[in-house]
Amino acid sequence: MPKAIGLITCNYTTASKDDVFSGRPVASMPYLGRYRLVDFALSNLVNAGIRNVGMIMPNNYRSLVDHVGSGKDWDLDRKNGGLFIMPGTAFGTSRTGARFLIRDLVQNREFFTKNKEKYVVLSTANFICSVDVKKLIADHEASGANITVLCKRASCDGNIDVVTFETEDGRVKSMNQGVKFNQLAFLDYAVIERELLLELLDSFAAIDHLDLFEALNSEYGRFRVMVAEFEGYMKPIFDKNSYFKANIDLLDEDVLTEFASGTPIKTKAHDNPPAKYEPGCKVSNSLIASGDRIYGSVQGSVLGRNVIVEPGASVRNAVLMQGVVVKTGAKIENAIIDKNNVVPAGTELRGTDGDILYLKKH
Amino acid sequence: MLLAGGQGSRLGVLTSKVAKPAVSFGGKYRIIDFVLSNCANSGISTVGVLTQYRPYLLHEYLGTGEAWNLDERDGGVAILPPFATQTGASWYAGTADAITQNLGYLEGQDAEYVLILSGDQLYRMDYEDMLATHKANNADLTVAVMPVPWEDAPRFGIMNCADDGRIEEFVEKPAEPKSNLASMGIYIFNADLLINTLKEDDKDPDSTHDFGGDIIPKLLAAGKRLYTYQFKAYWRDVGTVASFHEANMELLGAEPEFDLFAQDAPIMSNSSTLPPAYVGPKGSVDDSLVDNGCAIMGTVEHSVISAEVYVGKNAIVKDSILFPGAIVEDGAVVINAIMAERSVVKAGAHFGSADEETVTLGDDAVVEKGE
Repeated sequence: MPKAIGLITCNYTTASKDDVFSGRPVASMPYLGRYRLVDFALSNLVNAGIRNVGMIMPNNYRSLVDHVGSGKDWDLDRKNGGLFIMPGTAFGTSRTGARFLIRDLVQNREFFTKNKEKYVVLSTANFICSVDVKKLIADHEASGANITVLCKRASCDGNIDVVTFETEDGRVKSMNQGVKFNQLAFLDYAVIERELLLELLDSFAAIDHLDLFEALNSEYGRFRVMVAEFEGYMKPIFDKNSYFKANIDLLDEDVLTEFASGTPIKTKAHDNPPAKYEPGCKVSNSLIASGDRIYGSVQGSVLGRNVIVEPGASVRNAVLMQGVVVKTGAKIENAIIDKNNVVPAGTELRGTDGDILYLKKH
Repeated sequence: MLLAGGQGSRLGVLTSKVAKPAVSFGGKYRIIDFVLSNCANSGISTVGVLTQYRPYLLHEYLGTGEAWNLDERDGGVAILPPFATQTGASWYAGTADAITQNLGYLEGQDAEYVLILSGDQLYRMDYEDMLATHKANNADLTVAVMPVPWEDAPRFGIMNCADDGRIEEFVEKPAEPKSNLASMGIYIFNADLLINTLKEDDKDPDSTHDFGGDIIPKLLAAGKRLYTYQFKAYWRDVGTVASFHEANMELLGAEPEFDLFAQDAPIMSNSSTLPPAYVGPKGSVDDSLVDNGCAIMGTVEHSVISAEVYVGKNAIVKDSILFPGAIVEDGAVVINAIMAERSVVKAGAHFGSADEETVTLGDDAVVEKGE
């Protein structure tokens, strides 16, 4: 029997007002041509042998349920256990930073009582990273901590949505919002004993509007919360620019190799033909998903499934989500084009390096 | 009933480790995908797959049949390899014998009609339409046929028919054909007739237990109502290395005769979920099919590239078919070749040439520089 159950909270918004997140929950945001952001948390949990995963859903859950289905593509269609689709509280977490809202956990207390595994692995869907959760649990056991949080030292100032921990000898002293250079950024992966989590939920019942780690701020002296440091490619996604960069980053062969060297990321299977490169097309430094048909020119871009780039069209430094059609002679540069948009013949859609153009879902 | 036990010996090293229906095709598929997708798209939900030669990969690939929406509680895919009984065990001796040995399965399905298929052909057909013809003719057996060029007719089983499509004579590989309607090896039988005929044929010591050679001539002699169903679209039996290569190349170009992208009858496959293909900064791809999970750092022209293929820097791949996991190392040149699964052409090595016949490299085989 696996040692742990997994929880993914998918029901929070970001501080960013970028409309790139307006059409769907962050968890079902398409990524790298064929994934949804939630695939990373799901795959990381499942790759560690976890077969009981609860997902706390946002109000606009349609796209997310459509994607995960019965959990089959992650081996979560089990006779016992498997995937649990669970409700979030009425108003969701509209506040910055709260991603493990206590009232969401309390509302789904049954998930933590009916499953008897020793640990709970908490996670969210905002971080692109391939995490060895098995090792995280082993580290947790070896250190004898009450809670182990996965962190990475920030290489630059970062987003207000990212949580950071102040530590002393690897032990957490306090938790804060927003990340500055060299601080320990929380990757939203944590291991906690199931019984302890239940105790905490009971004792924090009066302050259930807080995030679990926020509520622990007065208790870090009492509980040993230890940091496990993450190595490998990691990208938090909380706004348009970080989303764009997390796609384009992967066009570097070294980054791509590092990304691909982690455990495999599973996603929903689709029946697309292979991508078809027509005679005379020009493609370089790009990621091209199956079902694409390319007649024109594609450079430095990430193309989702079933994209068509017609003759004479050009796509540069852009992220095209599934089903986008770029008509003859159209030009796209420095842009994110959301699902199923048809870019008319001869039109130009250009952003700049600093201000990426976003065309919302059609 | 889908016959998928054939070795496909004329494909040489390509079938040294897998059965012909499990051979990779078109960058994303295995040959059996086309027939299974036809079944699913025609509303057939019960398919018995008869396997025999090197069945492991085929069995694994078929799984529960869910990739083709054939994982049904009542029916779905049943894998039917040869088996032992109280009186002994035997291999499938012919196409008809394979069905005869599985009459227990067939009778258990309580079907009115039985469609007999081959797992090694490429075509899109709506079997519903063929069944409608069968019913309209009040036929006992309907044989799918297609017109072939007259000069090729002596290589096929030829049906000589009346104007209304009723079969009057069946001649296997006639020297002087009277018709150019070739049997495609696709049959619809009335189930009771099939079961009874197979039981009788089983007792005939002179029979080779083959549909074309024995069953059809016997039914004709017995005066049964045998009709043809004419099929005029794309159909290929990829029996040889040359025809296999040609059928893959026919998927390329601006308007291929067989369109993998046709929406109304999608070809489904049991593929794994992989990241999109990466075309490197110095990589270039022209007139090709490339599946997910590939990294193309060199040049690919007029080729079919399956999942997780790696083409190294300054490497050239042209007029070739690369099966899943094949590796062309830096500076290697692969021309007019078929590289089977996980095969490797080492850095700087050359494999194949435009002036000679298509060369093949078996599963896991390696070509060193200077070989």
